[in-house]
Amino acid sequence: MADHEASKINHDNHLLLDQPLLRLPYELLRKNFRSAHFTVEKESTTLNKLLKETAKGSLDGKTSPEDVVKNLDTMIAKMRGMKRKLSTYANEETRLYKQLDARVAHLRELSDMHSVEDVKYEAWSRKRLDRLLVDYMLRHGYNTSAQALANEREMHDLVDVETFLTMSKIRESLENGSVTEALAWCNDNKKELRKLQSNLEFLLRCQQYIELLRINTPSKSVEAITHAKKYIAPFQEQYPDEVREMAALLAHRPTDKNLPPKYAAWYSPDRWTKLATSFVEAHNKLLGLPTFPLLHTALSSGLSALKTPACHGTQKTTSSSQPGHSQTSMTSTVCPICSIELNELAKNVPYAHHSKSHLDNDLLLLPNGRVYGQAKLDEYAAKAGLAEGQVKDLVTGEVYSRTALKKVFA
Amino acid sequence: MTAQTTAMEALQKELDRLNRAPGLSATEDRVDKIIEMLTSVKDQIVQSGMDTHVASMSITRIQNPIKSTFEKINDDLKGVTATQRKLGKTLDKHFPLKDLPSTHDAMADQESLINRAISMHLLREGQFSVASTFIEETGDAATLENVNAVGEGQDQVSASDNYDDEPMDEDRDDDDDDDEDDDDDDDDEDEYMSPLEGAATGLGFRQLQNLSSLQSHELEAKFSQMYTILQDIKSRNLLSAIEWARSNSGELEARGSNLEFELSRLQYVWLFKGPRVNGLPDNELNGTAGALLYAQQNFWRFGNRYIGEIQQLANAQIYARNLSESPYRHIFSTETAFADVASSFTREFCSLLGLSAESPLYVAVTAGALALPLLIKYQQATRAKGTEWTTTNELAFETPLPERMLYHSIFVCPVSKEQTTEQNPPMMIPCGHVLAKETLQRLLKGTRFKCPYCPAEGLEKDARRIMI
Repeated sequence: MADHEASKINHDNHLLLDQPLLRLPYELLRKNFRSAHFTVEKESTTLNKLLKETAKGSLDGKTSPEDVVKNLDTMIAKMRGMKRKLSTYANEETRLYKQLDARVAHLRELSDMHSVEDVKYEAWSRKRLDRLLVDYMLRHGYNTSAQALANEREMHDLVDVETFLTMSKIRESLENGSVTEALAWCNDNKKELRKLQSNLEFLLRCQQYIELLRINTPSKSVEAITHAKKYIAPFQEQYPDEVREMAALLAHRPTDKNLPPKYAAWYSPDRWTKLATSFVEAHNKLLGLPTFPLLHTALSSGLSALKTPACHGTQKTTSSSQPGHSQTSMTSTVCPICSIELNELAKNVPYAHHSKSHLDNDLLLLPNGRVYGQAKLDEYAAKAGLAEGQVKDLVTGEVYSRTALKKVFA
Repeated sequence: MTAQTTAMEALQKELDRLNRAPGLSATEDRVDKIIEMLTSVKDQIVQSGMDTHVASMSITRIQNPIKSTFEKINDDLKGVTATQRKLGKTLDKHFPLKDLPSTHDAMADQESLINRAISMHLLREGQFSVASTFIEETGDAATLENVNAVGEGQDQVSASDNYDDEPMDEDRDDDDDDDEDDDDDDDDEDEYMSPLEGAATGLGFRQLQNLSSLQSHELEAKFSQMYTILQDIKSRNLLSAIEWARSNSGELEARGSNLEFELSRLQYVWLFKGPRVNGLPDNELNGTAGALLYAQQNFWRFGNRYIGEIQQLANAQIYARNLSESPYRHIFSTETAFADVASSFTREFCSLLGLSAESPLYVAVTAGALALPLLIKYQQATRAKGTEWTTTNELAFETPLPERMLYHSIFVCPVSKEQTTEQNPPMMIPCGHVLAKETLQRLLKGTRFKCPYCPAEGLEKDARRIMI
């Protein structure tokens, strides 16, 4: 009974790990739409205005037919340009629709499955693992591997390689000391960043200012002040302390002796790393992505759920096995936590809570203190070709007479 | 119908609606119309010889049509956004973004360990080229880390060079053909530095440990071998598997495995079936005679261990003509036999390497998906109460898993309701009942105790520690 319950798939919350799967294409769809909408607004306004002026000018006689034609050429060119842009947006939209279709189809497969023992569930779960692996690789910047795996499994619609590649590029550019790409990204996402109350743009502008000051020449200092007036001053109300510190930096240069640590921190090269991190955070928040790779989440809860006190113990227990020790065919189901792949990793997670014992039936105690179920002992004795009244310890191999065994009630 | 089914159906419905509705591509047509209108006006003016009157009339005349086309575009866009927004609402309703546990990431500093687990998983799955790419990519990162840590300005050997030029394992000879991995073969002789030399120049042993490349290289070779043999089994060729089993017969027997016999028996059966079934050439090595020959050449290895089974196989010769009516027909049905022997082989092969047959990473993640909802529920509950989940040794809530994911015996003391551990092991008292050690000590009155389950009494020294 208990096992039936434990094996049942609870559809309501089985898809917790898969929320971003649906969210991301949706967010990208909206972003795409907004860009298209913005383009249309901008171009239509400009065009309507030019058209009106040309018409008026022509009626007034101020605009010659040649000029009218010239303006018409401009308008046609603009419209052609707009069409090209719309075409790009339309293609992106179609691609995202396709992705959504594929993802929903993948998740729907689960609705037909009711138990984790279902043969189809295993295939589905493996697909999910592949997804999590690609997500993990992308987040850590192992882009080549991510693409290789996505190609190998043909799961491009289920993963978001492009999004993370773009993010990677911008992150790298920040780590290499360039704000240009990041600022462009901020520009594209102004409204949403404002909604999130992100300080990213402000920090980027500050960094530009700092870089100008770093050069420490009079002309650059003037440039810095101009820059500050244009880009930093507007943030005065939002981030008063920081703006004040920026102003103070004029008097404190990186080459100064006894530079107070507060200002030294602003000039420090690891600010770029901090910026990169801030960017990644803002990016993930914007697109509804979780802070940590989903694999981490799945692993920490999975490792805990599987872990028992015995997994890191010093005793050779029946069901577990440690590499290098003799194991028998019957105890070959190696606990994942005891495996060399995961053992170290699982050291610091809590072990699972059990309120019920889980033991073999008909337990018998061997003289060496080990306990096994009768069925297991019988099977092993037969396989080892022992005489009738004898049994063999599955782990240590010691042979005992059946009369030496005691019944255990646990 | 569960809530999730309705959620998926609602989502599907919205998605269908989205697909049916015109998207951004519809606006392109309208823009074409505008371009058309502008172009025709231009042509009109040019054809009229730049006539002022024509110019002003025609350009004024198109103002409204163009404006209204733009309005139509706007309406189109409004439609698109409305459909998309509905999808968003459905997502919000049925798949709300739940906060995944983020306060405490146990895996945060374990990147290299996780990478290693992933590399091994990829190798197990037979994804050899992805595995090499991954090992290289992650190896570079680890190397860089260590370079900074060591802080010496020496010329560092890159990770990939390190394992490309490694001395070959003996095992490599076995899997020359089906090796899907070709990265290792090309190498760059210039910067060769053997791992030992590298250690000597101060690259540090830690770097070598972090570079799981040494280990993975060997593992990869082994898995490659396993895959080659599995491919053979799939195509009904058991010879490589039998050879492997023979060369490892010592260890297999120590484990109590019947693999070698299983394989030989299946080979006998397969030959027995004759050329029409097994597709092998029709000669004296095939058919019932061939099977007999095979048996004579090979079954002596098994001595007396399988005498019963071997006799059955021999007796089946008599029934060669009407096998389906013989008492041995079940031995000769091969529908699942090859698949079964393949999984036995995989299990034994992995066990000999000290690995489990199933990928631990896969099991852990699958278990994680099952346990996660409970974790979130617990977190929500404790957050509401104000207490937080602190990292104690044991989870505070239960995470039931299916039977096959329970690998260890668990004993929960019925009195203290605690799991037994090494510090608090299970103790058996003379009447045969089991208690946790701490429970027993709490029950002691001097040196005597009474069993909580039965009237029996005992002395402390009569209790003994048992290992489950």
